[in-house]
Amino acid sequence: MCARILMRRNPRILAFPTASSILIGLVLCVSSGREAAAQQAPAPEGAELDVKALFTTTCGWCHSDGGRAAGKGPQLMNSARTDDFMKNRIKNGKEGAMPAFGGTFDDSQIDTIVKYIRSLKPDQG
Amino acid sequence: MKRVPRNIARSVALAIGATLAASQAFAQPVDTARIQAGDANDWLTYHGSYRSYHYSPLDQINTNNVSNLNVAWIHIPGRSTRGLQSTPVVADGVLYYTGSYSRTFALNGATGEVIWSYIPELDEALISRQTHSPYNRGVAIGDGKVYVGTMDGRLIALDMKTGKPAWDTKLIDSQKLTVGFTGAPLFAKGIVVIGAQGGEWPGRGPIFGVDAATGAKKWEFDTVAGTDDAMKTWGNDSWRTGGGGGWMPGTYDVDTNTIWWGTANPAPLYDWSGADYKTQGARPGDNLYTSSVIGLDVDTGKLKFYHQELPHDTWDFDSAVGEFVMLDRDGQKLVVHPNKSGYIFVYDRSAGLKNVWRITENSNFVKDIDPKTGELIGRRDFSAGKVAEPLCPHISGGVSWNAGSYDPKTGLYYKLGQEWCMTLTVAKTTPITAPQVQLNIGADFKIAPPPSGEIYGHLDARDPVTGAKKWEVRFPEPPLASVLSTGGNLVFVPDSRGTIHAYNAETGAELWNHSDGTGHQGGIVSYAVNGKQYIAVTAGFGGMASDDYAPTFGGVYKSMPRDDGALIVYSLK
Repeated sequence: MCARILMRRNPRILAFPTASSILIGLVLCVSSGREAAAQQAPAPEGAELDVKALFTTTCGWCHSDGGRAAGKGPQLMNSARTDDFMKNRIKNGKEGAMPAFGGTFDDSQIDTIVKYIRSLKPDQG
Repeated sequence: MKRVPRNIARSVALAIGATLAASQAFAQPVDTARIQAGDANDWLTYHGSYRSYHYSPLDQINTNNVSNLNVAWIHIPGRSTRGLQSTPVVADGVLYYTGSYSRTFALNGATGEVIWSYIPELDEALISRQTHSPYNRGVAIGDGKVYVGTMDGRLIALDMKTGKPAWDTKLIDSQKLTVGFTGAPLFAKGIVVIGAQGGEWPGRGPIFGVDAATGAKKWEFDTVAGTDDAMKTWGNDSWRTGGGGGWMPGTYDVDTNTIWWGTANPAPLYDWSGADYKTQGARPGDNLYTSSVIGLDVDTGKLKFYHQELPHDTWDFDSAVGEFVMLDRDGQKLVVHPNKSGYIFVYDRSAGLKNVWRITENSNFVKDIDPKTGELIGRRDFSAGKVAEPLCPHISGGVSWNAGSYDPKTGLYYKLGQEWCMTLTVAKTTPITAPQVQLNIGADFKIAPPPSGEIYGHLDARDPVTGAKKWEVRFPEPPLASVLSTGGNLVFVPDSRGTIHAYNAETGAELWNHSDGTGHQGGIVSYAVNGKQYIAVTAGFGGMASDDYAPTFGGVYKSMPRDDGALIVYSLK
């Protein structure tokens, strides 16, 4: 597996460092082609989480259409759930339904994810 | 003194007889020769036998009396998170099967009496972080043991008589790689073969050969860049996070000492390379040995041959379906293997291509596959952005990972096809490997109906080599479970709504059905104890494909549990 934290110039590309992951030297890999090597760089602490990219990478498997439609998981756009409910669900998961991401994201990043969910609009594309 | 009512006394006597019959079973070891020879009363591998027919020659239950089928007994495995997905195996009257969390049971096949159970202690914190979990699809048996994989990366051997662990081998660092084992192992020649999950997880998708006697790992084959030649098919070191895997059991060709296995797709699922996928995108090149069938020497794990069904798969239509139907047809030894795309590949016994045919009506990821060369004609390679025309089939495939059935009496292959599509917007992604590996999809997507109309599924009766169709039965929602055909001229289909159907194998006429109370998405087998034939089917919904059913179809799926299940066993009244 890769041995460095990698960032890209493109701000849409997923940067995924938690505070704890930076401290213990955890790693990300880029397999995106010829530019990857040139863009390897340590992630700055507190880097903004790119939640849109996160949905395309991982969350969208269950939350269809980038969270805009129900799939294996519920529709997130216009969810009636409270912020606290969503934060708890992201952090702790639900057996057989939602993985727990508390070991991957810190509270600040989970806040960012919930803010993104609240901003979801129908896809105009 | 109270008299024991005659019917109770008879029941007790029958139960004792059945128990004795079951216990006698243990005197006969299950080994490679016995699996190869097969016995109508047994179901010795996940796929029934090394021929992988999912067929029982038993004919006590037949077209004339199937209407008298009745529930003989039921077993509740408990904690059926995401339902039940396993296929039982049966030897000498004892049925072995698993539930979620690799809960393993040995049951008296005549009565359902629990002979032993084994509930492994798993890394629950790890499992809570997994997406494709905690279901398990079954066991292998051989050399006096029962073998089961776990979601936390272990392969465990249990004594067939007692259920006590004989060994417990950690094969994958699941805490780091997230993936574990959901598929059943395969026993052959003193080796237990099991493949890891993979596909959308950045990793190298290993398949393992483990010594059945000791639990020592004998070999490991990486389905991503497992050879120097294959390494060259992954540009920019993309093999490091390539995906792959082999999450369903294949089979063993005793004539050539070869394990046949299907491999999973590369990651990310959807590449943004555009047409120039050989040099551009997330993983430039053909990405060997993903979405391939491979032949491995059972003793060494060395690659003997392969055929990559989908070079540079960018649709998640992998070859991990473990069904390899070993046919003898007109003096030729053939192998029939369904690809998830809905194309069915026919090979010789060295994976030389003999034919390709398609079971689905709605398919547009390629225009066609050349039946002589296997070339993908008119393939759709996406660039980043919204894809204008929906992709068919849907990510859940043109066929399920569950198996069809080949009936050597009718010469027909009974296989389920799935008609659905998806909209998608492809985007560049970065593999996430820390602190723990995460899915790498590469698109936002949503299920969509096919251009021809509504989503549906169909059971086809076809020639397995040419694909010529004899009859078809349609279902309003795609059935996801395995199919069983029997010597009684019957084909059994457990459907998604929870009804099990029996059809005339020659005509497709429905002869019987019965509700099992919840959807099916696992296996169905037949066996005999003391001369009596049984049909055993797992019921219990939930998982990667079935989780889409409630929002897509509504109706009965809205209230269908996704944390429940039962093994239901039928016999004649």
